[in-house]
Amino acid sequence: MKNALMAGALGLLMPVMAAAGEYSLTVDRVMIDTGDFVKEGIGYNGASPGPVLRFKEGESVTINVTNNLDEPTSIHWHGLILPFEQDGVPGISFEGIQPGETFTYEFPIVQSGTYWFHSHSGFQEPNGAYGAIVIEPEGREPFRYDRDYVVQLTDKHPHDANRVMRNLKMMPDYYNRQQQTVGDFFADISKHGFMTALQDRLAWGDMRMMKADVEDVQGFTGLINGKGPEQNWTGLFEPGERIRLRFINSSAMAYFDIRIPGLEMTVVQADGNNVQPVNVDEFRIGVAETYDVIVRPKTAEAYTIFAESMGRSGYARATLAPEEGMEGPVPGLREAPLLTMADMSGMHGMDHGDMTGADASAGMDHSDMNQGEMDPDGMKDDSGMAADASDSMAGMDHSGMDHGAMIMSEGGASDPFYAEGSGLVPVAANGGKFLSYADLRAQKPLYEEREPTREIELRLTGNMERYTWSINGVKYEDAEPLRLQYGERVRFKFVNETMMTHPMHLHGMWSILDVGAGEWNPVKHVISVQPGTTVYMETEVDAPGQWAFHCHLSYHAASGMFRKVVVEGGPDQGNTAGAEVAKDGGDA
Amino acid sequence: MKTLTLSAFALALTLPSLPALGSDMPQDDTSRKDALTLWGVQFEELEYRYSDDDEELGVWNGDAFYGTDELKFRWQSKGEYAIEEEAYEKLENQLLLQTPVSDFFDAKAGVRFDTPEGPDRTYGVLGLTGLAPHWFEVDASLYVSDEGDTSAEFDAEYELLFTNHLILSAALDATVAFSEDREIGVGKGLVSTETGLRLSYDLIDRSFSPYLGVVHERKYGDTADLARAEGAGTEDWFAVIGARVSF
Amino acid sequence: MNASKLFVAAAAMSMTATTFAAGSHGGGHGSSIGEPGNAGDVSRTIQVEMHDNYYEPEAIEVARGETVRFVIENKGRLVHEFNIGTPEMHEAHQDEMKMMVEHGVIQGDKLNEDMMNMDMGNGQTMKHDDPNSILLEPGQKKEIIWTFSSKTNMEFACNIPGHYQSGMYGDVNFDSAADTQARAD
Repeated sequence: MKNALMAGALGLLMPVMAAAGEYSLTVDRVMIDTGDFVKEGIGYNGASPGPVLRFKEGESVTINVTNNLDEPTSIHWHGLILPFEQDGVPGISFEGIQPGETFTYEFPIVQSGTYWFHSHSGFQEPNGAYGAIVIEPEGREPFRYDRDYVVQLTDKHPHDANRVMRNLKMMPDYYNRQQQTVGDFFADISKHGFMTALQDRLAWGDMRMMKADVEDVQGFTGLINGKGPEQNWTGLFEPGERIRLRFINSSAMAYFDIRIPGLEMTVVQADGNNVQPVNVDEFRIGVAETYDVIVRPKTAEAYTIFAESMGRSGYARATLAPEEGMEGPVPGLREAPLLTMADMSGMHGMDHGDMTGADASAGMDHSDMNQGEMDPDGMKDDSGMAADASDSMAGMDHSGMDHGAMIMSEGGASDPFYAEGSGLVPVAANGGKFLSYADLRAQKPLYEEREPTREIELRLTGNMERYTWSINGVKYEDAEPLRLQYGERVRFKFVNETMMTHPMHLHGMWSILDVGAGEWNPVKHVISVQPGTTVYMETEVDAPGQWAFHCHLSYHAASGMFRKVVVEGGPDQGNTAGAEVAKDGGDA
Repeated sequence: MKTLTLSAFALALTLPSLPALGSDMPQDDTSRKDALTLWGVQFEELEYRYSDDDEELGVWNGDAFYGTDELKFRWQSKGEYAIEEEAYEKLENQLLLQTPVSDFFDAKAGVRFDTPEGPDRTYGVLGLTGLAPHWFEVDASLYVSDEGDTSAEFDAEYELLFTNHLILSAALDATVAFSEDREIGVGKGLVSTETGLRLSYDLIDRSFSPYLGVVHERKYGDTADLARAEGAGTEDWFAVIGARVSF
Repeated sequence: MNASKLFVAAAAMSMTATTFAAGSHGGGHGSSIGEPGNAGDVSRTIQVEMHDNYYEPEAIEVARGETVRFVIENKGRLVHEFNIGTPEMHEAHQDEMKMMVEHGVIQGDKLNEDMMNMDMGNGQTMKHDDPNSILLEPGQKKEIIWTFSSKTNMEFACNIPGHYQSGMYGDVNFDSAADTQARAD
């Protein structure tokens, strides 16, 4: 009712708006063909993924969403700053869109960049209800390119999402086909000796944890723009052109490590916000994150966009080529990573009082990281860092956990956003530069730097055996909303006490990731928190209303790692929307 | 000017505290706010057994559940059907409520109905089920029958992964009686054990995993004496073929 | 390891400076990017603004033999370079710039002068003092006087890691009409 009223009010104001784009989306049952299997799913305008919505900063958009399903639906505009009633989370923003109903979203576009949209109802999103959003800025971009492509990834599973959830609840390892086998045990013996291999097994067995527990849901086919590896989505280019690739990870569960063998990538945007360009050979994209990169293929050959899942259980593949039908070599999957005791260091109830290495990482305070030193590439060659990592591994050997002979990760790769000695630290396939969160710097600070008004600790908690996920040990069903005051700047402290990676997504307000760069800290909408680490983000509480805040792994959110955030105080939402509109109109 | 700004600020502060705005906020009454309610059906054993003295049995051991993390209703069913005699040597159904008591263990309570060929029994059940360190799945139950007899059953299972699809599972089931129930052939003390080794292959996900295996059943002490008195054997070896099924 | 890397960088940088002086650095086909000019020969001033991360303008027209005064102002919030050269030269220079960033000489929004002037052990420094290039902190404004010689595939570019790749460069177009004029003279 209120929405209708608001829509009406906005409708009256429509003629005075500077620019208004009108869009229509239908939510439909569709067939999804991955090349490996065909299954029914949910899509927009008859297809999954849905269309790319192209908005322009400064315009006001009207989006008519017609629900052709026999169940309620919704669309959440992921990463967009808008009035909370338009945010599309049933039960938090609005009542949802009933079968047969057309709901009209109306909101001003106040930002630019690459974003996406998806259903926030049930498991419609993992079942295919997602699409891309590209917003052209009002002014010029701080970079140049000759053409751009959306590269939207997903981990399409042959099972319906409800069934995946049920299977995970019945048997948490239902989809894990990377578990340690008898053969692995003998391989460990020949590599590390019998006692070490045995102690390693006993240590993990004692915790009832699996070091191969990197990807909960395996057996998917990686899709890029709806195409499986065999269907090979292809983007065309002329040699010498700069191409902007807008990577969006719309997966239910899978993180992807992305590279284009033969091409260096320059990361220019993360989560829709421009970052100071970083040249990389490979980067990891968390679930629901976006990264925009610029590549410049100089020769007329086919280049493979290769996206291996973090746990190496699947991949997506696409091609950049001067003409349709060309193919570059497709690399094989690298060996699956294994968790280490460092990744377990945050686990609740584990006595890690003496674990120097683990404590160092769990207690890691990124604000100590050389305030103001703008050194995006410096991380890589910092020999001090590598030394830290090996020190901490040595430290773990002497830990009070009596796991003296634990098998640790090899390679000694290090990244301040992973636990020291973590088995998950990514390494570029060509030995070159792998993007770290620590490399990200805002291209232009979005907010004035100021001290946070308070800190809120959010422990990311769970129980793998029961497949329950929670925040501060409380599932959403039992949780009180998180109350913030309009106008404050909150510092969130994420402490990951589980052995899974959690991409935390706060709706409606930006997540300023603390990489130790002060006002240059990058501004994101998803903060990926690795096992056994503590990560800080700050939020300017500038959006009244109520918002969702959750882990973006579909099955983690659904099993409890979810919160409602209520922003108390601030200008009345209705008036604000009106003021925005009037201002836009005034400009015209 | 300053006063104006101040009063505007004050207005902004008071506005949200008006009850009208608060009641406009949607309440989350979606299923997201409810505990996840799930169901599942699993047959650990669904098999044909052929014994060393040519006995043929159809055997199942399965359960179905419905519920949340906090409370599950479980129907557990075990049966052994003698194919030639066309009779149930064993038929037991348990209706249980199950709730977590620690990270890895659930407590359960309920009723068990035994309705094989011969006398029936009804039991009260109390038990613990969960995952012990080093990946042993264990289940311990205490039974009190309508005849006043108490007994206990202990189950343990361990899986050895030859590959991620080819799995050898070892299962041990032992029953102890604290009093004699002669009518159903149970003597005081260790009653019986059933040990099985099954080599399975996950053919369709974990939904359908055919297996081959051997099972050894043995009766002990007074129970064995009772069996012998009835002219029955006290020890059997079976070759088994079957499938683990879940859906 | 680090010291020797620094030395290589420093050596490489002084090398490019030397080759410029000789006026024969490879733009290919024996072409030349020109040489530092004299204030007295300046026929024209071109204003170039640096922003984060692009130039205004993004293309300039020059004539063969013309001496141009470039007034370059950094209007951005980050350090930027203005460097005249061929794409190949820029590519080579990018490795040096990367090293300067890695060693904290260039720190995003400021330059570490101490680090720059630090003696690497044999009189070499990390100074960024090639005559065809200039490195500016935010708000700084400096000049380069450059004499263009023959028509060459040239760009002005910022070789700070990522900046060139993401499009912080401009084309140096040789005005063919002016060329003809120059030849006639």
